[in-house]
Amino acid sequence: MLQIIIKEAKDFLRDKSNVFFFLIFPVLLVFLLGNLLSNLDKAEDTIGELRIHYMVETEEIMDIMAIDAFIEGVSDEQNILFIKTEDLDFSKEMVGEGDIAAAIVFTNSPMEIQIYEGMDRIKNRTISAIMSGFSQINRAVNVIVKSNPIAIMDSMNSVDSGASFIRQKDMGINRTMLDYYAITMMSMLSFMSIMLGTMCFLGERQFKTMRRLKIAPINQVKLFFAKVLGLLPQIILQISILMIVSVFVFGANYSSNLLDNLYLFFMFLVVTLTVILIGAVIGLYSKSNPTVITFPLVWVMMFLSGTYSKEIFIDGLSQYLPIYQIQEAAFNLAIFGRYDRANMVIIVCLILSLIMLVIGSIGFSRREEQ
Amino acid sequence: MINSKEGEENSSDIGTIIKIKYEGEINMSYVSVDSLVKKYGELTAVDHISFTVEKGEIFGLIGPNGAGKSTTLNVITTLTDFNGGEVIINELDIQKNRKNVKQLIGMVPQDIAIYDHLNALENVKFFASLYGLRGSNLMQNVQEALEFVGLSDKMKMKPKQMSGGMRRRLNIACGIAHNPQLIVLDEPTVGVDAQSREHILNSIRLLRDRGATVIYTSHYMQEVEEICDRIAIIDKGQMIACGTEPELVSMVTDVLTVYIETKIPLGFDRDVFSRKVKLMPGVKGVSIEGYNIRVDISVEQNSIERIIQEFIAQELPINSIKSEVPNLDTLFLTLTGRELR
Repeated sequence: MLQIIIKEAKDFLRDKSNVFFFLIFPVLLVFLLGNLLSNLDKAEDTIGELRIHYMVETEEIMDIMAIDAFIEGVSDEQNILFIKTEDLDFSKEMVGEGDIAAAIVFTNSPMEIQIYEGMDRIKNRTISAIMSGFSQINRAVNVIVKSNPIAIMDSMNSVDSGASFIRQKDMGINRTMLDYYAITMMSMLSFMSIMLGTMCFLGERQFKTMRRLKIAPINQVKLFFAKVLGLLPQIILQISILMIVSVFVFGANYSSNLLDNLYLFFMFLVVTLTVILIGAVIGLYSKSNPTVITFPLVWVMMFLSGTYSKEIFIDGLSQYLPIYQIQEAAFNLAIFGRYDRANMVIIVCLILSLIMLVIGSIGFSRREEQ
Repeated sequence: MINSKEGEENSSDIGTIIKIKYEGEINMSYVSVDSLVKKYGELTAVDHISFTVEKGEIFGLIGPNGAGKSTTLNVITTLTDFNGGEVIINELDIQKNRKNVKQLIGMVPQDIAIYDHLNALENVKFFASLYGLRGSNLMQNVQEALEFVGLSDKMKMKPKQMSGGMRRRLNIACGIAHNPQLIVLDEPTVGVDAQSREHILNSIRLLRDRGATVIYTSHYMQEVEEICDRIAIIDKGQMIACGTEPELVSMVTDVLTVYIETKIPLGFDRDVFSRKVKLMPGVKGVSIEGYNIRVDISVEQNSIERIIQEFIAQELPINSIKSEVPNLDTLFLTLTGRELR
């Protein structure tokens, strides 16, 4: 297995086109896209101050306490300003004119959060993430209240309650387009790895070496896994280079927290491995070169997911694309330190990987080379 | 060990087919293929083929394109499953002992199957390592294999920098580095120069002399004649002949053609001369065209001396004499037909 891994690594590193496509190209794109766009429109590149109007309709005392604690906690951050309003129509007008980022209504029992968003997608994403955090905490609080009201009262009386739960991380970092592209280029790298996957068996056919592998006295399932696993060192290398160069050379920010960055790295590692496995299975079952279809398909998906521009988003389509979901998970993790979507992505990817591994292994051991 | 004719000779559009049935001693054989059947959907690629290969033998498998040679080789090398029959290698049923059988086999495919990004040493090392060789043992085998094919001084060279012949030899090294007992060579000399071909053929003989059993396919009949101990001819998925070269040749013809160039004087009675020669024992036919006289004579009753004596008696000078013995090429075309496939 080790021999196969070493061979795969040599194959990858000695192919100049691979080195360009998977190591140099994404780094160049981060630099070019990030710098060009951030210089063109500096004002839009930062999240900036978030002025939000809010109206409290709920009369539930626990909800009101939770909202107050939340507003107080979030307003600790310099960039976020919550202003209470009684005139929702006026606030909505202000949102429409871009004077404020959003208007939020905390409705009466059962409490719902209604958000009237503006046109700035980055700000909208930020507000949505903040309110989603509040919603989850509030739901948790409600569950505790219903089961043990004394416990929540103790909790609410403690100094850090509320704020410590709902504080959004990294809001102080002045975010630029470099940060955006540092993440989208990671997802691009992950999805472009589908080519590595398809080529890992297509290459064997191209070099006519598949027969030699298949007549060798080694377990075919092990061989399939080893070939895919052989791509792992280069995936680690790719992601590491992109992250390191983006941060230390171009000055992009992922998360200020090392643990979050490591988790981000891990998430992309899992995503890339899954994409490679999917590619490997496609390559294994295809009679002709499937990159003719997979490569443009991935590029279209990346384009529609806002990988190359945050302005590109087609409602009803983009949000259902896997690349968009992964980018959202990465933004949530890097900007807000929220793990829920990243966890979901990792779980889905691991399940998919397992399925691909089974399909690939069966296909590899059964497929006859004509 | 000798094959026996079943007897009947059937005329068909591809010429005379002689049905051969193997009746050898299976236990003595290193490879035994018995009633092998392989189908691809409706197409029967291999139709009840049976043959055996003795240990230390070079066994040639020839046939036109699409005859079923490669399918047969794929089955023997465990690359393809089959629909019927039995294949035994070194007393191991390949269906029941797939892994053990794989360990015994070395395959040199028709297509050059090497990695362009790896140099000669790395290529051979990688493929040998798939057979469990490690450390110094692996390195020794790799070096020996490269030396064997005459590439020991080109170890660091990448395939792209090599000539066609060198790439072919590297292809062989990759298939033999793990010291297989059974080596399957599928047209190993395609597209190489005379020197490389000679080297490859000598190497195959050397492998046989070292105790390896070799199954060899080629479209170059001269090569097959030169190195194979026994030959099987396959066509349309069926085996149509099997045996040593003289045995095979004798199956289709016993006629030797002799061409004599002479100078015929004026007034010479060609008809009388022809009749006279025709009456000689073993002579099957005589024809005279200009100064060239063609005589077909029986291989068994070679009457060439008497014919020459007759020339001398008739005071006909002999400028040149040449004979055309039926070879494997003739046999192959006779058995498989001359039409294009």
